[in-house]
Amino acid sequence: MKTIFFTGKGGVGKSTIASAVAWQLAGSGKKVLAVSFDPAHNLGDIFGVQLSDRKKRFEDTLYLEEVDLNKASERYIRENIALLEDVYSYLKPFNMERYFQVLKYSPGIEEYASLTAMEELIRGEKEFDYLIFDTPPTGLTLRILALPYVTLSWIERLKRIRSSILEKRYTIHNINGHFSEKGVKLAYNEDEDMVMKKLKSIEERFIELQKFLKSENNSIVVVFNPDFLSLRESERLIDSLDELGMPIRAAIDNKYEESLSELAEEIEGKLLGGKGKNHEIELLRVSKQGRTGEATYELDENLASIFL
Amino acid sequence: MLEIVKRVFEIIKNFFSVMDRAHRSRVTELTAYEERELENIFVLLLLGSLAGIPSPPAFIAVELFPYMEHELKVLEARSKEASDALSELAGLLDMD
Amino acid sequence: MTTLIVLVGIAVYVILYATYGKKLERDVVKASNDNATPSQRLFDGVDYVPARKEVLFGHHFASIAGAAPIIGPVLAMAWGWVPALAWVWFGNIFIGAVHDYLALMASVRYDGKSIQFVASDLITKRTGTLFYWLVFFLLILVIAAFGAVLGGIFVRQPAVPSAYILKIIAALILGVLIYRIKMNFGLATIIGIIMLALAIWGGTLIPIKASYNAWILVMFFYIIIVSAIPVNVLLQPRDYLNSWLLYFGLIIGAIAALFSLHGFTAPAFTSFSPIVSGGKATPYWPVIPLIIACGSLSGFHSLVGSGTSSKQLEKEKDGLMIGYGAMLTEGFLSTIVVISVAGFGYTLLKDAGTKIALSTWGTTYMGSMMSKYPKAAMFTASYAQMVNSTWLNFIPIKIVQTIAGMWVASFAMTTLDTTNRLGRYCLTEIFSGLKDKNEGAYRFLTNRWVASLIPAAIGIWLAWSKNFTILWPSFGSANQLIASIALLTGSAWVAKKLKSKAAAVAVVPAYFLWITVTAAIVWFSAVVLPGTISKSPVTGITVLVIEVIMFIMNIIFIIDFIRNYKKPIEAEAEA
Repeated sequence: MKTIFFTGKGGVGKSTIASAVAWQLAGSGKKVLAVSFDPAHNLGDIFGVQLSDRKKRFEDTLYLEEVDLNKASERYIRENIALLEDVYSYLKPFNMERYFQVLKYSPGIEEYASLTAMEELIRGEKEFDYLIFDTPPTGLTLRILALPYVTLSWIERLKRIRSSILEKRYTIHNINGHFSEKGVKLAYNEDEDMVMKKLKSIEERFIELQKFLKSENNSIVVVFNPDFLSLRESERLIDSLDELGMPIRAAIDNKYEESLSELAEEIEGKLLGGKGKNHEIELLRVSKQGRTGEATYELDENLASIFL
Repeated sequence: MLEIVKRVFEIIKNFFSVMDRAHRSRVTELTAYEERELENIFVLLLLGSLAGIPSPPAFIAVELFPYMEHELKVLEARSKEASDALSELAGLLDMD
Repeated sequence: MTTLIVLVGIAVYVILYATYGKKLERDVVKASNDNATPSQRLFDGVDYVPARKEVLFGHHFASIAGAAPIIGPVLAMAWGWVPALAWVWFGNIFIGAVHDYLALMASVRYDGKSIQFVASDLITKRTGTLFYWLVFFLLILVIAAFGAVLGGIFVRQPAVPSAYILKIIAALILGVLIYRIKMNFGLATIIGIIMLALAIWGGTLIPIKASYNAWILVMFFYIIIVSAIPVNVLLQPRDYLNSWLLYFGLIIGAIAALFSLHGFTAPAFTSFSPIVSGGKATPYWPVIPLIIACGSLSGFHSLVGSGTSSKQLEKEKDGLMIGYGAMLTEGFLSTIVVISVAGFGYTLLKDAGTKIALSTWGTTYMGSMMSKYPKAAMFTASYAQMVNSTWLNFIPIKIVQTIAGMWVASFAMTTLDTTNRLGRYCLTEIFSGLKDKNEGAYRFLTNRWVASLIPAAIGIWLAWSKNFTILWPSFGSANQLIASIALLTGSAWVAKKLKSKAAAVAVVPAYFLWITVTAAIVWFSAVVLPGTISKSPVTGITVLVIEVIMFIMNIIFIIDFIRNYKKPIEAEAEA
């Protein structure tokens, strides 16, 4: 299974490009699932169907889905509130557990919920040949993609403190273990300490996800327009993705016009000059489409071949 | 006579066992202090927002939370003692 | 005579422990095992954990025992051995041990809070703050006094510094064995003791000779470096080896004193004002507490007792053995020091060619001792002679002397760097008021290295000028001032909170101590320090400034105390 993330500033047409790629890949006989994480949700409009967070069959091998980020966040919060309520079960007789609802407003929940949803798709939808993600606005996308990295570096640090706690506990146990008058049995073994085990299991999960995101099977596509407004943000996007070590496969210059060729070349040069140290970024141009509305997913340019 | 010998032997045994115990607790005294403070730091980092310091992604704390009963106790105990540390430190660090 | 005094000493301690101590427990503190101690009531498996009384005793004793109870009596011998012993025995029994016991028990009844907390609760908030200042001054003066003691012993016994260096290596290895490899503790202990013995023997083979000031400089770097490295690398294993040194020293000393059957050659009494401090005639009262501090009375013990021991006390009635008993044990250590110097000091000083004479002991002792067997060296040499005069003489005298030297040096060295660790913390607390006014200065002063450097630099600078007979009493004054505040706090607690009928047992010594210490500080600042200032101005003025600040604090404290003592307690905080 391969995944392709379409990223770019709002309005550059990344949903259109993502739809076109999905359509073309499905046309060549691949089983494709296109998922929109963009709250604007253009995917349904482009294909002219009503979509929900359960995948819907559009053509033989093309499936579509729209993930509602609010709903995903809510589900995540619900699960965690349930966990807290279990720990503080004694609050239930007074209905005080509802105060945990404020967790809804915690920062960072949206990213984590989105990443979890993506991870579930990557893990669960193995029968597809391609998973295509239409991503939310740039800032959020970057935070989502950075999350495994941020998490892992925290886990790394917490693990280090934890193992020095366990090491000291072991020393103490080793010297006066059977005399211990503390009455509390503390785990000193990495395999017995629940906190360490939990840390390791989170770490494992994120390493796997991180590995996948950086692998050959994942591609990131940056969509931009031949204008300076989109250049700024695209530059920032490419820099940040590079920093995270994400495999940027292609840059698509959308809404290209012959009359703008000079400007387009300047912008493409600025964007890609000296970029892509570890991977080749392929540059594609998609001409400005006259029509809107019906079958916008059909483009003249062949975009799918680079992902095959 | 045998009783007395037994009794003396008992006293000697007890003396050495107490010595042993005192020594063992002595060489681990500061390690135990450090261990406890590390637990304190660990939980403080996880619940950093409590103290207004940067904290890890919230879900890590949430997922570890159910297993942190002991560490939370340490956090509580230490926060109570934090303003009264001079004597404790004086007792730990032998002077005189 | 030595034997007799050891036996009388033991008898005095045991009898008064059983009578006076028990009275304290019963009538003053009203200790009862029915009262739950903090370790039971507040048990949290973290700080509040009950410990068996013997184990806690060992812990507490190890925390309060050090080099100071050895040095004080050596100096006090100028008055003759009877006045010295009198203060070691009776000062201890009626003041010092009472102080330790009350601090421990007040803390026990205050949920394990420290004497500092109790003082700010019973007197005023600023009394609590006073502790930081006094402890900080104490730390500086400890570094100065102990630095000078160490310098003296290192010059006089060049085997000691080399043995100490070897011991550091042994401690590092032991640290690896215990904390890294996690070897079986018993085995590691045996290896440690063997290494310690080898270090002492090796030290006698390769003595290192250097000047006093060179050693003082080495100590400065030692303090800074050692107080920065992790505790289980050096501090913990080293202190563990120290406790073995203490046992050996005490046991060999006790046996030797018992079997030596040697007469006392030093005079029993010289005069009430021989030359002790700064070359001046020094009156017994009020100055004796400044000379014999630990071993008879030490303010630092109130912190130790109320800091860790009170949180681990299992039953209230264990408190007497720990608070009162451990202090008497320390007094016994001082007793051995007096005995050894009284028995052998005169011959040693005479043989060394000093001007010492029995008839002029009061005026010649201090000068002779300082020139040939400075400070602790007087004890180590006498101790070695005493051991050598018994059936223990199969141990080469050089080795015994090095053991005694190591014993004193090890404790003094430990104090130097732990003092510095504590000093950092005190500075942070002292300057906490500065945070809002000048954040930059606060950050600078409390920076780990700067805060570490301040007490070390001042202390070492004071030691540099070789004014030991000034530094020692000033260390004593800071220590006794803390003791006086702690004891007054303890007596206020007994009289006001417990409303004990026998409160006088605490209140009378408390007032006596305050008056004594205040008078001693005044005498010291007015009579001794001017002479010092004219000879070595920097040391003299630094010490004078500290003394004056402490004196002012002492006056503020007593005003606060009296004002609050009359006031009834508003609400009963405890049941």
